[in-house]
Amino acid sequence: MDAERNAAKGPQPREGKATHMEGPDLESVIERAQGHDAEALAEIYRLYARRVFGLCRYMLDSRESAEDATSEVFLKLQRSIESYDGSIPFHKWLLHVAGNQCIDALRHRKRGRQLFVEVEEDVAVLEAANPEPSPLGAVLSKEDRTQVRDAIARLPENYRVPLVLRYYGELSYDEIAQQLGVQKNYVAALLFRAKQELRRRLGHRSL
Amino acid sequence: MECYSEQVVSIFVDGELAAEEARRLREHLATCRRCRQLLDALRVENHVLSESLQELPEEAAIPDFSPLPWSLAWSDVAVVAAVLALGSFVAGWFDRLSIPEALQWLNPFSVSGRTNLFFNLSYYFAQGGTAMLIDYAAVVGKIFFLLLVGGSALLLGRRWLLREPGLRLLIVLLAVSLPGFALERRHGDFVTVAANETIDDTLVASGNIVRMEGAINGDLVAFGGSVEVRGTVNGDLMTFAKRTAVSGTVKGNIYDFSSSLDLDGQLGHSLYGFVQSLRVNERGHVGEGVLVAAGDFSLEGEVNRSVTIYAGNADVSGSIGRELTMSGENLTLTNTARIGGNLSASVHQLKNVHIADGATITGKRDLQVRVRHSRFARPKFYFYQAVWLAAAMLVGWLGLVLFPGFFQASTHEVGSGWRSFGLGIGVLAGVPVAIIVIAITLVGLPVSFMLLAAYLIAIYLAKLWVGAFLGRLLLKPAGDTKSDWLLGLLVGLLILTIVGFIPYLGGLVRFAVVCLGLGAFAWQLYRVSRPAMTA
Repeated sequence: MDAERNAAKGPQPREGKATHMEGPDLESVIERAQGHDAEALAEIYRLYARRVFGLCRYMLDSRESAEDATSEVFLKLQRSIESYDGSIPFHKWLLHVAGNQCIDALRHRKRGRQLFVEVEEDVAVLEAANPEPSPLGAVLSKEDRTQVRDAIARLPENYRVPLVLRYYGELSYDEIAQQLGVQKNYVAALLFRAKQELRRRLGHRSL
Repeated sequence: MECYSEQVVSIFVDGELAAEEARRLREHLATCRRCRQLLDALRVENHVLSESLQELPEEAAIPDFSPLPWSLAWSDVAVVAAVLALGSFVAGWFDRLSIPEALQWLNPFSVSGRTNLFFNLSYYFAQGGTAMLIDYAAVVGKIFFLLLVGGSALLLGRRWLLREPGLRLLIVLLAVSLPGFALERRHGDFVTVAANETIDDTLVASGNIVRMEGAINGDLVAFGGSVEVRGTVNGDLMTFAKRTAVSGTVKGNIYDFSSSLDLDGQLGHSLYGFVQSLRVNERGHVGEGVLVAAGDFSLEGEVNRSVTIYAGNADVSGSIGRELTMSGENLTLTNTARIGGNLSASVHQLKNVHIADGATITGKRDLQVRVRHSRFARPKFYFYQAVWLAAAMLVGWLGLVLFPGFFQASTHEVGSGWRSFGLGIGVLAGVPVAIIVIAITLVGLPVSFMLLAAYLIAIYLAKLWVGAFLGRLLLKPAGDTKSDWLLGLLVGLLILTIVGFIPYLGGLVRFAVVCLGLGAFAWQLYRVSRPAMTA
């Protein structure tokens, strides 16, 4: 158990994330949590708080709002976990929930105005040939990763949110589309533009 | 075959390309080196993105949440438990002490009240409808407006400094005021404080019968069918009951809202009440004054200072240290009555005043016969009306300066007619019920006072919006400027004021004005708060 907890704390390769607790162990914890077992909920919190917080932190603009959103997610989890049916991995489901929470928070700040408004030409324009710089190369050093991360954090909301949902939350286009209330095509377009913008911003650096 | 666009390859890398298209792309990849390179590059890019995002943007990345969710879960339970406990407590009150029964005499729909309802209503309209309420509202409204103006100036001056702390302070004050009511409580069918028992705190008691024979060092707040104080209350006594009997000692004041109050014992300070029948019996003694509104008032005992009463029937056979001021229908002073100061009485007919020859009145006698309509003959009346109008204009102007959008929108809202009117009736009738219900819970007493003040202010403001709307309707100004609004308000208020004095019709008009204005206000409040709620 301790090893798992420690593993959950440090940054780790993508493949390792879902493995800090797998199979029957995690299942039983989730089952107990669904039965309102406080210990199990605490365990889930220990395992996933960091990841959920990370998502919230990328999606929202301040540490405070990210903390608020994270605690909201885990507070609501006591009830919402009942609806988890095991059809997708738990961490994906949880990040989906967290994504919803953040989007609600963003919407709330916009006072009901639509967060993402689809613009027809956006989709069309992207079908055209792309004169932008080529994809980012491999990043090896920690400094480089920090640069990329900072650039992502500074992207405009409409690029940042889908990008984070996709590459941090591992949500599918459909899930992102559903969360943002837009078409799947548009998600693809947003992601593509987000990457282009990111490249442009990091372009002068040789990554 | 032509190469695929970068976006399509990118979607493919994300595993989101439709199956058929993905198959064709795979076939193409087998033959196209350029696209394979693009694919690889995009894969690496995705990896870079995921990799980079794994670390959190801030150094101290592990969030230090407190309280943790499981402890919050328990606090949730605690809150629910507290609400349930409070709920059952309040529900217990409703059941056991039958407050509705205790206040039945106030209810115009009660069996005895129903017969009078029609007469009451016609009297109400004949006397100017909501006029009395509006007068109250004017006083409360002005006080609050001063506070509001002062507060707004402060807030505008230090907006960013004060806004949040101010809000927090308010919350803290509210929170602090709550435990003030969390005092010793007893409730049950039959609540007693035994003769040998002493309570050092304030006691809040509710029951069908509340009998206090011991001693209370704080105040006694009692709700009940019957409240009997036979012991000693060192603080104040406040009762809401069908029948209150005080044969012991109350060292402070008595605030009484009962159907009947009998004072047989000693009262240190003053008696304030709103009761159906008040008797100060032979052995009853009031250390200071009496100020009551009562159906029947009877004084056989002694009052050290002055007595001011609004009563249907007043019988005085006891002694009053200073003045007796009375307004009502009948006044009787028996041979044993003694008044240390002046006697002022205002009645409808002189023959309803009976002063026995043996009665002692040290000061002057001033008996006034209230004649209706006489007010129009007095210059003072017009002066007051002018002051009233000026005050309303001032309030309107201030409101327009401070909340321009809200005031103008509320004015327009009056135009919605039936919606405002219906809503207004609902608010006019519903809010007092809410106030009483909130007050009964005691915990909500401060809230209920605030609600009452807001209610009265809204009634006062109602005529401004209706007046402004009426003026606008008549003048039809081209623009929508503030001076147009104020001119409209002046014209509208003048018309409303004059119409308001027409007997009967005036009452109906005032009533309608209050309903329309209140409805417009409520609707506008709803509209203003709506985006915040749904966002």
